[in-house]
Amino acid sequence: MSAYLRLRALEKRFPNGTVALDGIDLDVAEGELVALLGPSGCGKTTTLRCIAGFEDPSGGTIELAGKRIDLVPPDRRGATMVFQGYALFPHLSVFENVAYGLRVRHVSGTALRDRVAAALGLVGLGGLEQRRPQQLSGGQQQRVALARALILEPKLLLFDEPLSNLDAKLREQMRLEIRTLQQRVGITSVYVTHDQAEAMTLADRVAVMNNGLIAQLGTPRQIYDEPADRFVAAFVGHANFVRGTVRGPDGDTLVVETLGTARRTSFPVGPYAVDSLVDVMVRPEEVHLVAPETPGTLRAIVIATSFLGSSALYQLAVGDEQLVATVPMERGVALQPPGATVGLRIRDGALRSFPAPLS
Amino acid sequence: MDRVRRDPAAAILALLVAAAVSLTLLYPLANVLGQAIFDEQGNVDLAPILRIFTAAVPRTVLGNTLVMGIAAGTGATLLGFAFALATARAATGALRRVLHYAALLPLIAPPFALALSTIFLFGRQGLLTRGLLHIETDPYGLSGLLFVQIITFFPVAYLIFDSLVRQLDPALEEAALNLGASRLRILRTVVIPLLRPGFAAAFLIIFVESLADLANPLLIGGDFNVLASSAYLSIVGEFDTRKAVAYSVVLMLPSLIAYFAQRIWVGEHSVVTVTGKPSTGRVQTLGSSFRVGLLVVTGITAALVALLYLTIIAGAFTKLLGINNTVTLDNFRFVLGGIGTRAMTDTTLLSAIAAPIAALLGLVAAYLVVRTRIPGRIAFDYLVMLGAAAPGIVLGLGILLAFNHRPLLLSGTAAIFVIAFVVRTAPVSLRSTVAALLQIDPSLEQASANLGAGPATTFRRVTFPLVRRAVLSGTIFSFTRNMTALSTIALLVTPNWRIMTAQILNEIDAQRLGSGAAYSTILIVIVLVAIIALDRLFGRAAIEVAA
Repeated sequence: MSAYLRLRALEKRFPNGTVALDGIDLDVAEGELVALLGPSGCGKTTTLRCIAGFEDPSGGTIELAGKRIDLVPPDRRGATMVFQGYALFPHLSVFENVAYGLRVRHVSGTALRDRVAAALGLVGLGGLEQRRPQQLSGGQQQRVALARALILEPKLLLFDEPLSNLDAKLREQMRLEIRTLQQRVGITSVYVTHDQAEAMTLADRVAVMNNGLIAQLGTPRQIYDEPADRFVAAFVGHANFVRGTVRGPDGDTLVVETLGTARRTSFPVGPYAVDSLVDVMVRPEEVHLVAPETPGTLRAIVIATSFLGSSALYQLAVGDEQLVATVPMERGVALQPPGATVGLRIRDGALRSFPAPLS
Repeated sequence: MDRVRRDPAAAILALLVAAAVSLTLLYPLANVLGQAIFDEQGNVDLAPILRIFTAAVPRTVLGNTLVMGIAAGTGATLLGFAFALATARAATGALRRVLHYAALLPLIAPPFALALSTIFLFGRQGLLTRGLLHIETDPYGLSGLLFVQIITFFPVAYLIFDSLVRQLDPALEEAALNLGASRLRILRTVVIPLLRPGFAAAFLIIFVESLADLANPLLIGGDFNVLASSAYLSIVGEFDTRKAVAYSVVLMLPSLIAYFAQRIWVGEHSVVTVTGKPSTGRVQTLGSSFRVGLLVVTGITAALVALLYLTIIAGAFTKLLGINNTVTLDNFRFVLGGIGTRAMTDTTLLSAIAAPIAALLGLVAAYLVVRTRIPGRIAFDYLVMLGAAAPGIVLGLGILLAFNHRPLLLSGTAAIFVIAFVVRTAPVSLRSTVAALLQIDPSLEQASANLGAGPATTFRRVTFPLVRRAVLSGTIFSFTRNMTALSTIALLVTPNWRIMTAQILNEIDAQRLGSGAAYSTILIVIVLVAIIALDRLFGRAAIEVAA
């Protein structure tokens, strides 16, 4: 896989001492969509703005299609952006907004009209050419922003949380539309979001960012099933953490005493001395409720439940640890009342150990 | 430095503009300061300045000036607040509009006009006082001066409060009401505290304007001399430049302190932006007796404003209003037959030339301050603002001193008026354009760059169209201010170029009050026609913006 966009040791320090990017390495293949996922302040937007040229990196390099672009002015980078608030020009019509980049390049006449029409057709907005952005719905504005960026057939498409201003239903719909469009056009893309569902739906690979660093880069499946550290495990999806004590390695697993028994867990790279403490992670959907006193299961007390439609959330106490379980619902099956005793079954394969924080 | 290297055009532009502003604004003011501190031989001689604090007469003048500034600032601020509260929370429909426009009307009054009609109405031969009420009054002095200044300046406070009150979410008052606060308590604990920056801004700005006022102290001040009029009379009456510059330096000090205190404390909040947001008073949060009181006070003031304007017109069309009320066109014949026609064309021409230059300077300065990272841009901002902070008479004196010898001999030329007008009015354009620029999300300009447009194209196609309205309002404001400016140009007039306000001063000096009223009427008509024409040409709301 050859890198089309290549970030090397990208750093951004602000004059007030804040370190926004602490050395980012990232390769994006041609036609691939990589999502930068992380909480606010993790550096994902700064990375995007460095690629677009709106921030000057304090160190490192950016290459696009084999050429260094980090010293190129933002208007000549060939990487167009879909902005968070869309940044549609309020004084221009939809047509002129989409045509803007072509007019800057002195395209006019039939060629201009044809290409604008094609771009608007691509996003399903034909017929709205003469409207002003303010007269469009949020989803339509989003599509104009997309058309405006796509019409230039850029080397790279940058998305800065483009769906964060839309309501939940529309967001899900636009997610799929963007994914379909991106794959159809085959355009290399970097997509910034703090919404993990968005990242998982859209991206070929996800870069989870934290404190100015990429904590993990992998397919959605990899970052969910094999999180590289405690942060990624907690940020992507839901996770239970319980205490454990290392008893020693066993083949490619780590034997950890947790919830009263010795278990074989998976683990990312890290020092794991015997008798050291670890945090053992298990996803709520991997905690299965069974009849109490079933042999080989844990004994738990129900603290509280909530009904979510297709599933139910159980808050459970196991000794002095607490666990959340997601249990699929079937019509007519009653929830266990608070105080009830239940049995829990958790597969060894669902357990993953992380070095415990030093505190 | 990285940014400068990357955008050399902006850096060069900044240097050019800074050089131009330094020459036309900083250098003249430095001249005033220099001549106040050094004697003809170039030795330090602080005696003329110290005299103002020690000798009895100038000390009285200094005291008078501060009393006038503080009293006018307080009175006009409170009246402006009453109008803003009345239009936002008490009056509705037509009454609201009447109060609104009555509060804007004095902004386009030429100097002397309101003082003149005050004399017609309340003077020794006053239509109202002697004619109707048969009482003896003497408006000449502090009371008459304050009356005229408060009427002249309360619109400034009104505009500040109006925008603030509109931004005030009525839900806050409803919440206080909901929590059981009395209506007076809401005013005291919610409304007034939230408007506190407005009070500071309005008071300080009006204080500065009052100190800079030359026309009213000359016309209605009587024996109540203030620094501005004393500086003017030192030149015109006594030809004593050193005395004039000493008064000027002492006058400049409180003006600059108040002006920049206002800028620093109140910041961009003081900029009046006209929003399209309606002020929704869903729940009545003012007590009914308070509301009635408010409407009575503002209603009487509005009637007074209207009366003052009508009196000017009546004064222009009668032989000598109050003494000989024969209707006549003699005043207009005299004015238009004499040098009045030339004064009209000269003043309009110079004002029209200076107005777009001032607006453009404000635009360039605002762009440099807001959108570039050029070092020293904040200092540059303050430098431009000096033009509004320094009293007009001081600025005029400085320009006179700076440009009356070779190689910068500009006395008597059109250029000297254009310079005076531009440096005086560019600051307002700067502020309104800064406010407009700050409202533009930087992502719009970034989007433009991202789509391949260079800085110049981005400015032309995105930034400028979005601040065009602020530039237009800056132009209208500048034109209006130029047409009605007196203190800035009072010392610059020569027979080469006739300025209407200076002509009015001449007429009044010669006791031809009718001609003064005729001039004032013509001036008001020109200003109104220009505002309405520009408004029709370029879009709604320009009147309010310019005001």
